[in-house]
Amino acid sequence: MSLNLKTSAVLTGLSCAFLALTAAFLLNPWGRPQAREFIPLVDTNFLSTATVRQSYAELIRLKADLSDFDCYACHEKGKPPTLRFDTNQVLIIPTEHANLVMGHGSHNRNNNCFNCHDENNLEQFQTRDGRALKLSDSTPLCGSCHGPTYRDWEGGAHGRTGGFWNKASGETTRRNCVECHNPHAPKFPGRAPAPGPHLLHPDAHIAPETHAAH
Amino acid sequence: MATPESNSPGMNRRSFLRTSAVLTSGLAALAASLAPLRNLDDFPSVEKFLQKYYKEMTPEEMAKVLKRIEHDVEKQYGLRPHVRDLRPMDGVEFVYALNLTRCIGCRKCVHACVAENNQSRNPEIQYIRVLKLPHGSLDLEKAEHNSDPAKVPEKGFFYMPVQCQQCKNPPCVKVCPVHATWQETDGITVIDYDWCIGCRYCEAACPYWARRFNFTKPEIPKEKLNLEMAYLGNRPRKQGVMEKCHFCIQRTRAGKYPACLEVCPVGARKFGNILDPNSEVSYILRTKRVFIQLKEEMGTSPRFFYYFDV
Ligand code: HEC
Ligand code: HEC
Ligand code: HEC
Ligand code: HEC
Repeated sequence: MSLNLKTSAVLTGLSCAFLALTAAFLLNPWGRPQAREFIPLVDTNFLSTATVRQSYAELIRLKADLSDFDCYACHEKGKPPTLRFDTNQVLIIPTEHANLVMGHGSHNRNNNCFNCHDENNLEQFQTRDGRALKLSDSTPLCGSCHGPTYRDWEGGAHGRTGGFWNKASGETTRRNCVECHNPHAPKFPGRAPAPGPHLLHPDAHIAPETHAAH
Repeated sequence: MATPESNSPGMNRRSFLRTSAVLTSGLAALAASLAPLRNLDDFPSVEKFLQKYYKEMTPEEMAKVLKRIEHDVEKQYGLRPHVRDLRPMDGVEFVYALNLTRCIGCRKCVHACVAENNQSRNPEIQYIRVLKLPHGSLDLEKAEHNSDPAKVPEKGFFYMPVQCQQCKNPPCVKVCPVHATWQETDGITVIDYDWCIGCRYCEAACPYWARRFNFTKPEIPKEKLNLEMAYLGNRPRKQGVMEKCHFCIQRTRAGKYPACLEVCPVGARKFGNILDPNSEVSYILRTKRVFIQLKEEMGTSPRFFYYFDV
């Protein structure tokens, strides 16, 4: 009889242990993956391949509003506008052109409108070496004063070539100066950076891995 | 006289019930312990399991594998991708050049790369890390990885995006025990995600932190999937395999520029065929004078050049 009692105690114990295991396996209180930090999808503006501004040539192609470029809607042909300067020799911008921010070169060294625009025909540019260029063809104008940068641009080192590197597969595009530089204030404006990586140890400078690593 | 029921060595009613209670609960425990298998949805198919090594596949076998991958992706995402096996082109060796004078640290390249190459959004996998360094320093260990100012560039700092350097002498390839990663003739070091066993030796061997491991199943929202895919490129990876920058094989072997270059607002990123004397990378290596090859003292001979405009 005592043997029977013992067996039954052992078997009941085993059953309880197995049932507890079953419950543990099903409820799985330890094995759940850690809840992940929510990472918002990046703003699609950061994925845009557009340049910082649109050139006149681009606006023509897009059939956009071109009234700013219609000089003789306001100006009179054969009557060059007169430039006015304040007592510090700083160019005064007339209110009709108030949207222009001038600041080309340190100390505004290249603010004289007629360094670029042709006073006798506002619808074209004049280069230092006497060439006349259409308003939509400003890159050689920039090149006429920025020789080394222009050479780099032609070689592909300055600016951006895109599309196809292999000309046998498709067209290589080359961005024009005024697609990145405002001709009147060509310094590149600062911008907000896209979100950085979600580091597990933000203070560890050398930790290269993100949450994926742990 | 003892009844046979109570002391026979055989089975009596009570002990039968008792033993079967133990057995049943034991089986239940076993079944429950196997329950996680129910969640295993990407169990490899027979074809996948028997797939040959990349370099040994005939074109017909490859065509079948590509179809299978298209089918698998469609099953998982509900969208039919276009998967190609693009091979290196004759007379082409790719080189990357990055202008440190220009880079403003805006990280657009990081996210364009994630979008192009179907990288996991959460957990986050990114091939490019933009390091922020004070002027005059090149101590990468001291670089800041996740600086978040209101505007870039900041005075007194420069930015150095680091990704796979596509070394001529890649340490990662040497340590792979199963030859799942190798260097191709156009200079790109590739990974066969179907051959990788996830041992992470390559990750440890890479001095540039360029390799990333999928610790969990990658997570990509269906509408963000880039459907133009390549076998050795941006096709979706699975849990437990390595991945890294492959110069956008799906684009560059089709003649296009990589995605990180196309999105750069300042034109700091340059890419092309170094064997073509008229390419812009040839022009840059010919005319620029100051170059950095990261950790060149390690003998890795990167195909990724950092330069300054001087
Ligand atoms: C909305 C009308 C309008 C349009 C369009 C316009 N201008 Fe003017 N512009 C003016 C007025 C008004 C003045 C000031 C009076 C003057 O000097 O003739 C002026 C002045 C100027 C001046 C002298 C600036 C100064 O600082 O004194 C230049 C140069 C000039 N315009 C060039 C152009 C060019 C080039 C175009 C075409 C690309 C153009 N303008 C289009 C109205 C216009
Ligand atoms: C008439 C000559 C001339 C022309 C034409 C010209 N620039 Fe300049 N540019 C200058 C001078 C002078 C500076 C000042 C250099 C300095 O300060 O060291 C300058 C400076 C710059 C700078 C440096 C940023 C700054 O403001 O200091 C940029 C960028 C630039 N120009 C872009 C252009 C672009 C784009 C064009 C064509 C739309 C252009 N330039 C046309 C003379 C010219
Ligand atoms: C460095 C050369 C340069 C100088 C100096 C310059 N411009 Fe321009 N300007 C350009 C170029 C190039 C364009 C065409 C840009 C484009 O394609 O978007 C332009 C466009 C314009 C336009 C039409 C588009 C717009 O932005 O409104 C006006 C008006 C204009 N300039 C007026 C002036 C006036 C007024 C001055 C002098 C205060 C001046 N510009 C000085 C190069 C110059
Ligand atoms: C993809 C955009 C892009 C294009 C296209 C581009 N530039 Fe620039 N350029 C830049 C940036 C960014 C800088 C850095 C300027 C800054 O920080 O203000 C720069 C700087 C310059 C400077 C200042 C000197 C220097 O090297 O830092 C000059 C001059 C200049 N560019 C001229 C040109 C000319 C001329 C063209 C066309 C032939 C051109 N750029 C086309 C983006 C561009």
